[in-house]
Amino acid sequence: MAQPISTRKALREWRIYLLVLPALVMIATFAYFPAASAIYHSFFDWSGGEVKRYTGLDNFRRAWNDAVLWRSFGVIAILVVANVIKLIPSILLAVLIHRLHSARWQYWYRVGVVLPMVVPGLVFLFIWKFFLDPNVGALNRLLDLTGGRTLLVWIDQLFGWDVFRPDQPFGWLSQPDLIIPSLILWGFPWIGAVGVLLYLAGLQSIGAEVYEAAEIDGVTSWQRLRHIELPLILTQIRLTLVLLIIGTLQGYGLQLLLLGDTGGPDGRGMVPGLWMYNRAFSSGEFGYACALGLILFVAILVLTMINNRLVRVDK
Amino acid sequence: MTTTLEPTVRVRVETMAPAPTLRPVKSHRRRDWGRHLAIQLLLAMQLFPVYMMLQVSLKDNRSFLSNPWLPDAPADWRWENWSFATRLVLPYLANTMFVAVLATAGTLTLAVLGAYFFGRYRMPGGRVLWAAFMMLMLMPTIANLVPQFALLTTMDLLNTLWALIVVGIAGSQAFCIYVLRNFIEEIPRDLFEAAEIDGAGHLAQIRNIVVPMSLPVLSTLAIVTFLDRWNEFVMPLIVLRDPEKFPIGVGLIYLEGEYVKHWGRIMAAFSMASLPLIVLFLFTMRTFVRGLASGAVKG
Repeated sequence: MAQPISTRKALREWRIYLLVLPALVMIATFAYFPAASAIYHSFFDWSGGEVKRYTGLDNFRRAWNDAVLWRSFGVIAILVVANVIKLIPSILLAVLIHRLHSARWQYWYRVGVVLPMVVPGLVFLFIWKFFLDPNVGALNRLLDLTGGRTLLVWIDQLFGWDVFRPDQPFGWLSQPDLIIPSLILWGFPWIGAVGVLLYLAGLQSIGAEVYEAAEIDGVTSWQRLRHIELPLILTQIRLTLVLLIIGTLQGYGLQLLLLGDTGGPDGRGMVPGLWMYNRAFSSGEFGYACALGLILFVAILVLTMINNRLVRVDK
Repeated sequence: MTTTLEPTVRVRVETMAPAPTLRPVKSHRRRDWGRHLAIQLLLAMQLFPVYMMLQVSLKDNRSFLSNPWLPDAPADWRWENWSFATRLVLPYLANTMFVAVLATAGTLTLAVLGAYFFGRYRMPGGRVLWAAFMMLMLMPTIANLVPQFALLTTMDLLNTLWALIVVGIAGSQAFCIYVLRNFIEEIPRDLFEAAEIDGAGHLAQIRNIVVPMSLPVLSTLAIVTFLDRWNEFVMPLIVLRDPEKFPIGVGLIYLEGEYVKHWGRIMAAFSMASLPLIVLFLFTMRTFVRGLASGAVKG
């Protein structure tokens, strides 16, 4: 805790307030003012300039009837669920590394986990975009090479999806029905460096005695995971879960880069954030975009609060 | 850590060797092979895009189309892809460097000053101000983008790199202050009091006590903020118009559209964009790995 201070001394030390002032000015200007401005302008017909017209709740009424917005919430719900499932490889990797007996290998594997972070996220995304290219992309070539293509076509014909057609390459980013699968698939096997390091740190708090006792009792690998390891990193999992859900809900960079600001063919990849971006910067409807941002803001805030209550871990 | 852990493990198992249920230590190595295999497989798949980027960056289209998976013999490496990419990417890198370095320096300077305010004394009104910062960490920022753009327009910062710097500094404040405050509170109070008796002001105390003692945390925060700025592209995309001002994020979007069918060249450009981070990583590998892990423990 910080040192308590008497009012008299605090008055004498008034200069200390000057230290926090620059940071305060920054957040007031670039975080709190825009937030207030978003609330204010969500009641206006505004295209970013001086001219604006008060329209009351029109923007919100319009949002309520906005089919694109509703559909985008459906898309983001799918992506949130997918992203939660995509945490599993990171947890598994952390447990595997932790179970190794050699501390040296543990260190080197940790380095290996962090290594992909040197490639900027944007570049990583672009490489994946290139992988998903129908003609020269690695994914289609790999499917050709391994017979996965034949398998997918066979499954497709079995269920009658008409998505994986035998006569043309799979258009991962150009066929409407493949947009969401591509948004889920990219980044496979979805190892998140920060997540793995977090879990490893949590796992290290397990004492060696626990393992020895478990070993003597003849505990199986699965029981060890279920009853020793997972409970110990539940706090970390919860933390990553909360961050991940908030991040997914307000993220749209992925969709913007892979599909453009229209959300790809047939708008199948349109997410709420992207729709806000699209309204503001493609059609200049700043007021409506502010209202969309505000709706999203409230939705995320409520979800975060529910999330915090539901996933709480009593320790 | 790596050198001390292994002997203790061995000793412990040896002293317990009589227990019939324990297997001898040698079998550990053999029993681990399945795990090694699984870990290496996962890491290999995660690193596969990096591998592809590097090897395709040294191929022309013909070679890439006939042999996409394996690198060519070194004699056939097309370094001209790299020289071509260098010419294109270097200006973007310079812009990014300018933004990332200034924004990181600004972020940390303001954060140290602010964290000192919160960590040193419980000043009147401190709790309200603290709440103002912490709210930002919980608040979704998505609604801010459009008004921020309007604000930057009125501040006449549109189409300048300074827009990215100030917005970046403001955006990273809350997290850095949060981490640094915890750290400053753990510094023994005697140190501050001794400095005060010697007549040191607050700035001197920050310079001589806080900064040297929190150097490991500061370097971790520096890396994290630097990476954030490096990876940014939405703000630059809406703020900047002139291609010669583009940082790497927007630059690559622009290049990707321009050189669609030149796989080797575009991959070389991607590699160039990663190069500064690879160098940073090589020099700070331990800080990077340990820092991220230890920061994780605290949080």
